[in-house]
Parts: sequence; C-alpha cells; structure tokens
Amino acid sequence: MPLGGAVAEVASQPMFPPQKKTLDSHSNMAPNRRLKRVAASQPGFMTLNTSIKPENLVSNRRKRINKNKKKNWNKHIDVNDVEDFLEDVRLQERTTGGLISDKSDESLFFLDAGDKKAATQTAVEPTEAKTGRRKASRPLKVDLILKNNSLVPVPKDILAYQLPNAKKLRNVAKKAEQLAAIGKVPKKHRPPTKVDGPTKTTAADAPNNPTRDFYDIWGQETKETCDPWYLRQTGKAPVKRREKWNEKSSLLPAVEIIAPGGSYNPDFFSHQALLLKAHEVEVKKEKEENKILKQLAYDKDDRATEESVFQEQVEGLEEEDYDSNDFNSACTLGILNLVEKKTEKQRKKERVQKIKEQRRLASRYKTGQQQQLFQLRSIKVALRQREQRTKERQTQRRANQEAEKYRPRRLGKLKFTAQDLEVQLTNELTGSLRTLKPEGSVLKDRFKSLQKRNLIEPRERAKFKRRLKIKYVEKRSFREIT
Amino acid sequence: MGGVQKKKFDRGAATNYITRNRARKKLQLSLADFRRLCILKGIYPHEPKHKKKVNKGSTAPRTFYLMKDIRFLLHEPIVNKFREYKIFVRKLRKAYGKSEWTGVTRLKDNKPVYKLDHIIKERYPTFIDALRDVDDALSMGFLFSTFARTGKCHVQTIQLCRRLTVEWMNYVITSRALKKVFLSIKGIYYQAEVLGQTITWLVPYQFSHDHPTDVDYRVMATFTEMYTTLMGFINFRLYSSLNLVYPPKLDSKASGASLKGEDDGDYALDSESYMEKLSALSSSLARVVSSVEEDEAQMDSFPVEGEDVEQMEAREKEHKEQEAQKRLFEGLKFFVNREVPRESLAFVLRCFGAQVSWDKSLCIGAAYDVTDETITHHIADRPNMEKQYINRYYIQPQWVYDSINSKICLPVEDYFLGVTLPPHLSPFVEEKEGDYVPPEKLRIMALQRGEAIVQDEDEEDDDDEDDDEDEEEEEEEEEEEKEDEQNLKKMETQRSQGKSLSVKVTPGQVKKEDRGRLEQEEKAEEKRLAIMMMKKKEKYLYDKIMFGKKRKVREANKLTAKRKAHDDASKTDKKKKAKKQ
Repeated sequence: MPLGGAVAEVASQPMFPPQKKTLDSHSNMAPNRRLKRVAASQPGFMTLNTSIKPENLVSNRRKRINKNKKKNWNKHIDVNDVEDFLEDVRLQERTTGGLISDKSDESLFFLDAGDKKAATQTAVEPTEAKTGRRKASRPLKVDLILKNNSLVPVPKDILAYQLPNAKKLRNVAKKAEQLAAIGKVPKKHRPPTKVDGPTKTTAADAPNNPTRDFYDIWGQETKETCDPWYLRQTGKAPVKRREKWNEKSSLLPAVEIIAPGGSYNPDFFSHQALLLKAHEVEVKKEKEENKILKQLAYDKDDRATEESVFQEQVEGLEEEDYDSNDFNSACTLGILNLVEKKTEKQRKKERVQKIKEQRRLASRYKTGQQQQLFQLRSIKVALRQREQRTKERQTQRRANQEAEKYRPRRLGKLKFTAQDLEVQLTNELTGSLRTLKPEGSVLKDRFKSLQKRNLIEPRERAKFKRRLKIKYVEKRSFREIT
Repeated sequence: MGGVQKKKFDRGAATNYITRNRARKKLQLSLADFRRLCILKGIYPHEPKHKKKVNKGSTAPRTFYLMKDIRFLLHEPIVNKFREYKIFVRKLRKAYGKSEWTGVTRLKDNKPVYKLDHIIKERYPTFIDALRDVDDALSMGFLFSTFARTGKCHVQTIQLCRRLTVEWMNYVITSRALKKVFLSIKGIYYQAEVLGQTITWLVPYQFSHDHPTDVDYRVMATFTEMYTTLMGFINFRLYSSLNLVYPPKLDSKASGASLKGEDDGDYALDSESYMEKLSALSSSLARVVSSVEEDEAQMDSFPVEGEDVEQMEAREKEHKEQEAQKRLFEGLKFFVNREVPRESLAFVLRCFGAQVSWDKSLCIGAAYDVTDETITHHIADRPNMEKQYINRYYIQPQWVYDSINSKICLPVEDYFLGVTLPPHLSPFVEEKEGDYVPPEKLRIMALQRGEAIVQDEDEEDDDDEDDDEDEEEEEEEEEEEKEDEQNLKKMETQRSQGKSLSVKVTPGQVKKEDRGRLEQEEKAEEKRLAIMMMKKKEKYLYDKIMFGKKRKVREANKLTAKRKAHDDASKTDKKKKAKKQ
C-alpha cells in the first residue's frame, strides 16, 4: 500500500503528451540511449508508465531480414520500444528529477504512521483560509497551471552571455596593453596634432559677422612662424604684392560731388547751369536717335511708280542681242592685240630711251645735292620746324595720356555709359528739407562710379534663356466648357 | 639661313595679356567667383594698347587681364575657400534633395568661411594708405546701412555696416573732424579731415530707396565685404589714436545716469538698446584713460628753412581759425523737432560741440525735454509752431548747415520759420579770381570778414507800405552794389583811382590815402615798366592771359547784371501780386 501510494502520487502530476521526436534527435542521443537501454535491461529497473513492462522493452523476438542492404535496415527495425522507453525516461526526469531506479529508498518512501497530522491540518486550514493574509500569500490557480513544473533545468541561453567579436576585442585590448607598456598611445586617444588644423568653423569667423572684433592690423609685425627658407621651398611663403597693383586705375575721385545746382535749395544761376547741362545731354541723345531714324528712312524719290514697275518687268526682254554683239567684238579685238609683236628696232629704241632716262635722273640727283649746299639755311629751318612739330605732338600725346587717366576705358563688350544727370526742375524744387523728394539712386551712383574708375567692366544683366520651349495644353475639363 | 620659323602671337603683347575666360579657366573658378576674387584682391581688367595684337588678330571687344596679375592670383589661399564653398553648396543641395535634415544641419554648422584680414594688410601696407581709400568704404557702408532688410542682401551685412558707420560718426564727433556739409538732391555730402586726409562721403536720405534693376548686387556686396573689413580695422586704429575704448562704450560718468534710469524699461535687451544709444549720437564715449579736459595745446613751431615769418604766421592763423571752427556751436543747446532728419543734425551739431536733444518718443538717448528753459535753438521745419518759447530761436535746419559751411554762426533772422530760405550753396565750389560769385556768397564772405551789414528787410515788411518799400529796395540795391564793388575792386583799381582824384579831399584822409596810394602807384609803375621790358613773345603771351582774364570778368559782370535783372523782375512780380491781393 505505501508503495502504491507513492506511485500514485507521482502519477498524479500533470502529464504532457509525449512529443514526437525526430529521427535526428534520436541519432544524436544514440550513446545516451544505449546506456539507458542497458539500464532498462537491468533486473531492478522500474517503469513509470504501467502499460510498459520492462520485459517488453527488450524484445527477444528476432526477425529474419536481409542485412546486406541499408534500405532494409531502416525498414525493418522496430523503434517503438525504444521510443516508449525514452518517453518514459523523459517523463521520469521531468516529474521526479531523475530516474526512479537511481533514487534511494528514503527519498521515495515514507512510513505512514497514522492520520493525526493530516487531521490537524484539515482542522487548521479553514481558519487560516479566513484570514486575508493567507489568502493573499496563496498563488492563483492560473499561475499554478502556467507554472513550469518540470524538474529538468532550462538549458542556458549561451548568446545572452556571449559578446560579438569578443575574440577580436580581446586581442585588440591585449595589443593596446602591450603598446602602453612600451609607451605608445593609440591614435584614437591621441590629441590632434595640428593646432590650427581644420577646426569647426562657425559663423563667428565669417567676414560679415556683425559682432566680430577687430584689432590693430598695422601695428603688429607679422611673426615668422617658420624658417623663411623652408616656406619658400615648400611654396607656402606669401607672394609679395607688386607696388603697381596698389596704384589707382583711374585718377577720378571716389566720391564725385554733384554740381552746385544740385543743392536741395539751389542758387538760381547754378541751377540754371545744371539744367542747361542736362538739356544738352538730352539734345545729344535725341540727335543720335534721329540719326538712326534718318538712316532707316527710305528716299521718297525711290518709291516705285507704275512706270518703273513696268520697266522692271520688261527689262531684259529687248536688249539681249546688243549685249552678245558687244561681247563678241571685244573678244576679237583683245586677241588681235595680243598677237602684235615688237620689232628688233623698236626694242633697241626702247632700251636707249631707258638708259637715257636713267642718266638724266642721276645727273639731276647730283645737281640737286650740290644745290642743297646753298639751301642749308632753308633746310635748317625745315628741320627746326619738324622738331617743333614732333615736340608739340609729344606734349599733346602726353596730355592725352594724362587725360585718359580720368576717362573710363573700354574694358569689355560694352562702353561705359554715364547715368542720367540728377536734376530737379524748377517746379520740383520745394525749398524745404521736409518736403524734399530725393532724386536718383545712391546705389546706382556708387555702381557707376566703380565702372567709371575702371574697377569693374560695364556689363549687361545676363538674360535668362529657356532651353526648352513651354508647351501649352488646355486641360480637358476646361476645354469642355469652352 | 633657316632656323625655326617664328610663330605669331608667341611673344610680346599677346603673351602679356590673358582674356577673362582663359583666366577663369586657369584658376578653375566660376565667373562669379572669379569676379569676387578680383574685387577682393584689387586686380582690375586692363585695356591693352594694341587690341589686335593681344587678341590674336581679332578686333572683337574682350575683357583682358594682365598675365602677371592672374599668376599672382593663383597663390591666393582664398581660391581654395571658394572651391570648398562650391563643394559645400553641392553637398547641401544633395542633402536637401534627399531630405536628410541632420545632414543639412551638420553641413551648415561646418560652412566654409574665409577671412579677409590678410588681404587688407596686403593691399594697404600702412594705415595712411587705408585711410586714403576710406571714401569708397564709407559711402558704401552708409548706403548699405540704410537698406531695408528685404533679402536684397544679407541682414548681417546690413547690421555690420550700421555698426561700423555709427562707430565712424562717433569718431568724427569726438575728434571734431567735420569740415563741410552739402545737402544735395541725391543725398548728403560730408567732408572731414582725419589725420591730415580729406575724406568725403555721401549719405543717402533715409527711406529713399528704390532698387534699380541694372545694378549688380553681388558685385556691390563683394565690395562691401572688403570695405567693411577695412573700415573695422581703420576704426580700431582711429579709436586707439584718440585713447577711446574700441568696441565703443558710452561714457557712463557724463551721461549714463540719466539714460539708464529712464530707458531701461522700454527696450527688451541691454545689448539692443546699447547699439541704439550709440547710434543716437547724443552722448560721449568712454576713454581708456579717463582724461581731464585737454587744455589748449600749443602748436609747436618748427622753423623750416626757406620759410619766412609771414608764412609761419599765416599758418598759425589758419590753425587758430580751425580751432575756432571746431567750437562753433559750443555752449548752444539745440532741440530737434520730429520732422527734421534727426541723425544728420545730431551728428553735425555734436561735431561742433553743441548739445542736442529730441522728443523722447522719437529716439532713444534724448537728454532733455522741449520744456527745458535753457534751450537756445529749436530746429523745426514747419510753417509755424503753435506753442513757442520766448527765450529761444525757432529756426529751419538749413541754418545749421550754412553756418558750418561759412564757419560762423549766421544771423538767425533769414532762417526763421515760414521765411523763404536763402539758397543753400555748395561748399565744394571754390571760385577763382574773376569768377562769378553769387551775391549770397558775397554776403557770407563779408560776414566772415567781420563786416557788419545792415539787415536785409524781411519779406513780411513788404506788405506794409509801398513807399517805404521802394526806398528800402533802393538801399538794398546800393548795398549789393557796394558788395560787388568790393569784390571787383582789384580788377578796377586803376580806373577807380583816376576817378577818386577828382573827388574833393579832406586833409586827414589825404595823408592816409597818400601812403597807400604811393605804394600802389609805385607798384603800378613797376608793373608798367616790366610790361614794357617784355620780349615780343612774352608780351604776346601776357596779352593773351590778360585778355582771358578780362573776358572772364566781363562774363561775371554780365551774370551779376542778369541776376540783378532777375531779382528786380521777381520783386516787381511779388509787388504786383501783393497789390492784387
């Protein structure tokens, strides 16, 4: 009875249906299995499942089959007994924490000395159940069901303890330690070598930062950071600026002051003078425009009349014969001329004439030279005149060159065009600072001044050119309406 | 015989010049960057003497640079910065396109910037060189500081320009360097003398901008970039030369107490209000070493060889005059009404030692109220004021500018409210001998000489009585004639002398005149003899010069006559109108 009780207790544990094992797992467990099989064949082995008998586990019957083919091996081996046995072993492990046959008797059995203890237990229980404390300490049924009752320990999750790249890291650390022992610091921990290297640039360094601070740039001498020879050799020495580049490209003043007539409350005459100047400019412009118009206009006498139109239509119909005749006669005359040849006599005569002429010229030249002796004074005068002329030209040229320095030069496709004169008409002048309406734009004035002083070349604003044509398509919905 | 055949355009002018496009390719820069570089480095295009030779036979107009200049540009470290910037823009565009916002912020934090300090040092080796070129910088700075912040240029640039110009104005005020002012229809021209250099700049009127379309803003912004850097360094140097603290600070002792107490509540940030207070130009600046009012410094006299005592005296006199001009408005107390350009007036008045204030609601930094009894001049620009204090002059702003230009405090009567102002003459015109001088200027010159002129009648008197008026007018004309005579005396001395002989002579006067006249006669005699002794050629030249002078005088006389006729005509017109009314 006591033995049976123990067995019943063990069997009352919740049983899970045996899981179907794959063949793989069996083959893996082969050595283990054999061992257990050996244990089962022992006389003292006990099974937990009552339907399985230890005698059945080791079958005595021998089947006759051909063993020369592997196919047959697989086919005819009965593995049910093995599986049953293994299931049983697993069950034992799960429920009791090991094979029952291995356990000592004391752990399996106890001596039943009566119901005294059990009676007291049942008596006490209801009282205790009433108190809330006990109730709270007792686990819920749900938790009990879900609780893992297996006594087989959960296998360890190895990955939770493993570091990726552990080996490599270990090696690196080892090497670093070795280097540190020598006195070398790895690159990562080294401070940046370049002091003025690529630091993080901020808006503070920008040239238009409104709160930037200035210093005495002309007071301090530039300090030599390196050996000048080294700098020169490596091409790092600053290139010297030529004096010429600091010269002004024009002698015009930076700020040209407006004529006195441009005062907001001008003197009458200076205002008139300025108006006159502006007027002259306008007249000149108009003249140029008119010139172009005149060139474009056609002469009214050239207009086609009925007569001239008729003449044109008839042209070429009548005069064809004339032309061909003329051409033929000219051709024949030319050929005749070519054919004529000089006689010997003529040639001789020509030669004599030529020599005579040469002689005449030579003698004339000689007498001319002799005569120059007597013309010395007039020659001197001529020379002096020529020198005078060259001198005048020189001064003139120099003056022109000086004047050129005040003039805008031709620096590109476009010529410099001065801006319109700022002028206010007499009725626009208000005579009071409050009601003054400023004329012209200072921005344009500055821009033109830069152009005038040859600092920038006059340019036209770049025109926007569309590369592809725009295609207009009417939407269908819109088209339906229209 | 033989040798290698010479190729065309292999040497000479053709190799000395390079076209813009080739230069650009050589530097590997875009056109905009190339232009920027040239502006910053001060390398400008050249017009070759023989275009055909340079242009390899073609006469097409092109922009040329000197080859050496471009080779010089190759060494500039900023070129690399330009390239970096190009890459930066490309990366940024890509990041935007992929909407990688962290990438965008990272790129923006590391935006490549360049500094122009070394270029300034290179282009202007000495401080004086820089000061000579400050005209342009100032005009540009003042122009940009008046721009609206509408995205035509960077807001930061505008702020920097404002800061630098305010610093400059404060310097001019402290050093009292201003010499001339001219209100033109375009803007206000100022001229100052700083460390012996005459500096002229143009300030646009406020709020008068229309943005012209044919101006390249990029080019202007590049120039401004360079000029602001230049101006910063110049300002620093100028401030240190006056012993002032450089980022300028207001003198807390002199005016800080009154300022701080009142305005602190109105402005949000201290830093904001500080700039505003500085730009109000109403208080003096702090010095490094707080100095006691410097006493009148005696000018050291270094006798230079070949310079006689007269010249020395003249120089000393000039110096004294200048000193006097600097203290033109000292002790005067001005109040500026709200319709008047405040900044210009505050700047100008403070330059000559006046005290200025304005309405508290107009601008920060008002030192006193309208109700202050000690105010001497009230500047207003409206026909009349309702409430007027009896112990101050109500004048129009032109008085200030005219007084500065004429270097004396002009009589106030011509500039009262509602009075038609005398013309505002340009101080930059200097008449030579024999030129036409407008009568207004003659009058001012007479005032400068210290001659008292009977006050001209005000227009208001004209309405009273006709008879009186005529007489007065006659008087006026006589006065004008007198003035004219004074000026033309030199030209007409000989004639006038002849006439004056016939006039009766009192014994006392004879003595006085005799001395002067004897000298004059002697001089005239000498001159005549010298003319007689002249060579034919020189005589011819002399005659020519004299003829030119006479012609000038004739023309000037003609203009004065015309002016008189014009004045007469306008007066009669007015009279008629008055009668009609």
